[in-house]
Amino acid sequence: MKKKVISALSGLAVGVLASTVFFGNFSTPDTVSNASAKTDAEKVYVPFGEKDEYYLFASGGHSGQMFIYGVPSMRRIRTVPVFSPDSATGYGWDAHSKKMLGGYTWGDLHHPAFSETNGEYDGKYMFATDVANSRAAVMDLKTFTVKDIIEVPNTSGPHCAAFVTENTEYLFLPTRFSVPLGHQYASLDEYSEKYRGVMSAVTFNEKAQKLHIAYQVALPPWSYDLSDAGKKISKDWAVLTTYNTEEATTNLEINASQEDRDFIVLFNWKELENMVKEGKYDNVGGQKMIFPEKHKGGIYLVPVAKSPHGVDVTPDGKYFIASGKLAPLLTVFSFEKAFQAIEKKEFAGERNGIPILKYESVMEREVNPENALGPLHTQFDDKGMAYTTMFISSEVVKWNPETGEVLDRVPVQYSPGHAVAAEGDTVSPDGKYLVSLNKLAKDSYLSVGPSHPESMQLIDISGEKMKVIQSSPVDPEPHYGQMIKADKIKTVEVYPKDENHPNAVYNQKDARIVRKGNEVHVYGIAMRSKFIFDANAKRPDVIEVNEGDKVVVHLTNLDFDEDITHGFAINQYNLNMEIQPGQTNTIEFTADKPGTYPLYCTNFCSALHQEMTGYLLVKPKQ
Amino acid sequence: MAAAKLSVLSAALVGAAGGLLLLSLAFPWWGMNFIAPQYPEGLEIVVYPNKLEGDIEIINGLNHYIGMKPFSEESFPELGYLSYIVIAMAIAAFIVALTRSKSGLYVLIAVFLIGGALGIYDIHRWLVDFGTNLNDSAPIDIEPFVPPIFGENRIANFTTFSYFATGAYIVGVAFVCLLVPLWKERKK
Repeated sequence: MKKKVISALSGLAVGVLASTVFFGNFSTPDTVSNASAKTDAEKVYVPFGEKDEYYLFASGGHSGQMFIYGVPSMRRIRTVPVFSPDSATGYGWDAHSKKMLGGYTWGDLHHPAFSETNGEYDGKYMFATDVANSRAAVMDLKTFTVKDIIEVPNTSGPHCAAFVTENTEYLFLPTRFSVPLGHQYASLDEYSEKYRGVMSAVTFNEKAQKLHIAYQVALPPWSYDLSDAGKKISKDWAVLTTYNTEEATTNLEINASQEDRDFIVLFNWKELENMVKEGKYDNVGGQKMIFPEKHKGGIYLVPVAKSPHGVDVTPDGKYFIASGKLAPLLTVFSFEKAFQAIEKKEFAGERNGIPILKYESVMEREVNPENALGPLHTQFDDKGMAYTTMFISSEVVKWNPETGEVLDRVPVQYSPGHAVAAEGDTVSPDGKYLVSLNKLAKDSYLSVGPSHPESMQLIDISGEKMKVIQSSPVDPEPHYGQMIKADKIKTVEVYPKDENHPNAVYNQKDARIVRKGNEVHVYGIAMRSKFIFDANAKRPDVIEVNEGDKVVVHLTNLDFDEDITHGFAINQYNLNMEIQPGQTNTIEFTADKPGTYPLYCTNFCSALHQEMTGYLLVKPKQ
Repeated sequence: MAAAKLSVLSAALVGAAGGLLLLSLAFPWWGMNFIAPQYPEGLEIVVYPNKLEGDIEIINGLNHYIGMKPFSEESFPELGYLSYIVIAMAIAAFIVALTRSKSGLYVLIAVFLIGGALGIYDIHRWLVDFGTNLNDSAPIDIEPFVPPIFGENRIANFTTFSYFATGAYIVGVAFVCLLVPLWKERKK
C-alpha cells in the first residue's frame, strides 16, 4: 500500500516536472511598452499607416534645394526646390518660379530657419538664404512651395544667415564675404577702406507673402559665419561670429588664422530699428545703411577664440556658446554680464569704431572636453543640456552649460558640421532626437564611385547616454536643419477655388483661347485624363499659333482630389510645369520654332495618363 | 361623429410626426459611399431633400471613364420641390392633430405610403438611368448596372455602399408616430 502511494506520487512528480519543462513559460512579461527596451530598429521603424513624429528640414546646400525627411524613420519624403530649377516640379519654368529665380540656375542653400512666435516654431513659414547669389527665400508650409525670393544688394554670400527674431520681426542676413558697397570695383589693396560685410534686416509681409529689406548695417570688412537670435531676457539681441578680422585678402587659410582671437558681434536690433526710425542712416543705392562708426550704439564686439563657427543661445536666453573651430575649448558667455559691461561702459577700446567688451567680463565659463577638437555648433535638449558637434574629433559631446560638466560623447561617421535637435534652437527644445549632419560618409553606404553622399545620423538623446540609432545617406549637402513636431505643420491637400483668380477656369466648358494681336492666351484645364484648351474647338486639346507669337498658357487642375497632380510639357520647347490639385499655373514662351510639337501630362495621373496629350502647332511665317 | 375624434395622445403623436418631418429636412436622407484601393478613405454622395453634398466633382471625374453622365443638383428636379412636399405633409399632419380627425389620419397614412413608395421608385429610376445609359465611346467598357438602393455593389475598382441616412430614419419614426394612433384607435 505504502509502496503504491510512493510510486503514484513519484509518477505524478515526474509528470509535473516533464510538463513544466515542455510547456512552462519562463519568459519574462512582454516589455514592448517600455521604450528604453526597444531595439534601435524598433525605435526607427514607422509602419505603413503611421507617420513620423517630426519633420526634418535639411538644407540642400549647393543643390539649392530643401530636403524634407521624417524622423525617426529618416525617410526622405520630398525635395523642395528653392534656389535652383527642378524639372520634376517645373520649378523655374512656370511663370511665377521663373520670375522668382531671376535667371539664376543654381543656389547654395545653407541655414534654414522656421518662422517663430514667442520663440517657438509656429509651423507657418520656412526661410532660407543663398550663399551663391545673395538671395533670401520664404516657403509656405501649407503647400511646401516657395512664395518669394529677393536678391539682397550691397552684400555677397549671406552664409551667416538666416536667423529669425522671437516673433519673426526680422530675418537677419549677415554675410560671409565682404565686398565694396554696390559691388563696385575696388582694388584689394583698399580692402580695409572700401570693403564692407553688410548685414541685412529682412521683414516678411505675411499677407502679401513678400520679403522686404528694412535696413542694412555696414559691418567691418570681415567674414561673418554663423548667428543666433537672443531669447527671453536677450530677445532684443543677436550674436554673430566673425573670422578674418585680420582683414586678409589672400590665402585666408593661413592669413585669416593669425590672430589668437576673432570677435562675436553682439547687437541690439531694437536699437538699430530705432536708429532707422530716427534717420540715423545713409542712403546707399536705395537702402537704409547704418554705418556703426558713424551711427554709434547698439553694436558691440566680444573677443572669442579664433575662427569660430557656431554661436548658439541657450533655450533660457541667458548664455551664448561659441568656440574657435580649431580649438578644443567651448566658451559660455553671459548675456547678463555683457549687459552690465555695456551699462558700465567697460570697454577695451574699439575696432573699426565698434566698442570691444573684455573677454573676462563676459565669459561665464570655459569647457574643455578632453581631446575633443573642432567644436562647430551646439543644440539643446529639454533639460537645457548642450550637444556640440566636433568636426575634427568626429563626435558629438553632451555637456551641461550651467556647470561645464561633460556628460557623454558619441562618435559619428564622419566629421559632423551642424547638428539639429528636435526644436533644438527654440525656447523649449523637445529632447528625444538629434541628427548629426556629417560632412563625410566614406565607407558608410554602398559605393557609388568617388563622389560620395553626405550622411545624417539619428541619435537618441532621450536617455542620459546618447545612442546612434540610424544612419541615412543624403545628397549634398545639409549644412543645417530644422526639426519640428509634425503636428505643428498644417498642409492643404488641394488648392481651394479662388473665384477672383483672373486666370482660373473652374468649368471645363469655359476653356478658351484668346488672341490679342500676336499674343495667344490659353485659359485651359487639366483633368484626368485630358487637357481642354478650347472647349468649343474641333480638337479641344490643340494649341495652334503663328511663328513668333507670344504664348501664355494658364491651366487649372480640375481634379480637386488628393495627390492628383498634372504636368504640362511641350516636346522640344524645353518647357514643363506642374499643376497641383485645384491650382492654376501659368507658363509663358515665344513660339519661335515653327513645326508640330506634341504636348503631354508629365506627372502620372491616371490609368489613361499616357493618353493625356495634345499638340502645339506652330504655323511657319509666310 | 364626435366619437370618431382621435384621443389627445394620438393627436399629439400625429403632431409629433409633423414636427419630425420638418426636422428631417435638416439631415441627409440617402447616401452612397465609394471605396477603392486608391481611396481607402472613401468618396461619398450625400443626398438631402434639397441638395447634394460630398465628392461630386471627383466622382463625376472618375465616372466619365465608364461613360456615366455627370450629375449635379441640376440633374435632379426633385431637389427643387421635395422639401415643399415634406413641408406640406407636415402641415397636413398638424391640421389632423388639431382637428383630431380620424379620417384625416387615414388619408395621411395613405399619402405617406404612396409618397414613400414613389420616393423609393424615384431613386431606383435615377440609379437605372445613370447606371444603364452609359456612353458607348467611354474608355472603359462595362456592362450596364443598377446599384442597389440599399447595400453593397461592385463596379470596376470601387465597392459602393448605398444607405438610408439620418433624415430617412427620422421620417421612419414619423411614420411610426402615425401608425401608433391607428393601432390605439382601432375598434375594440
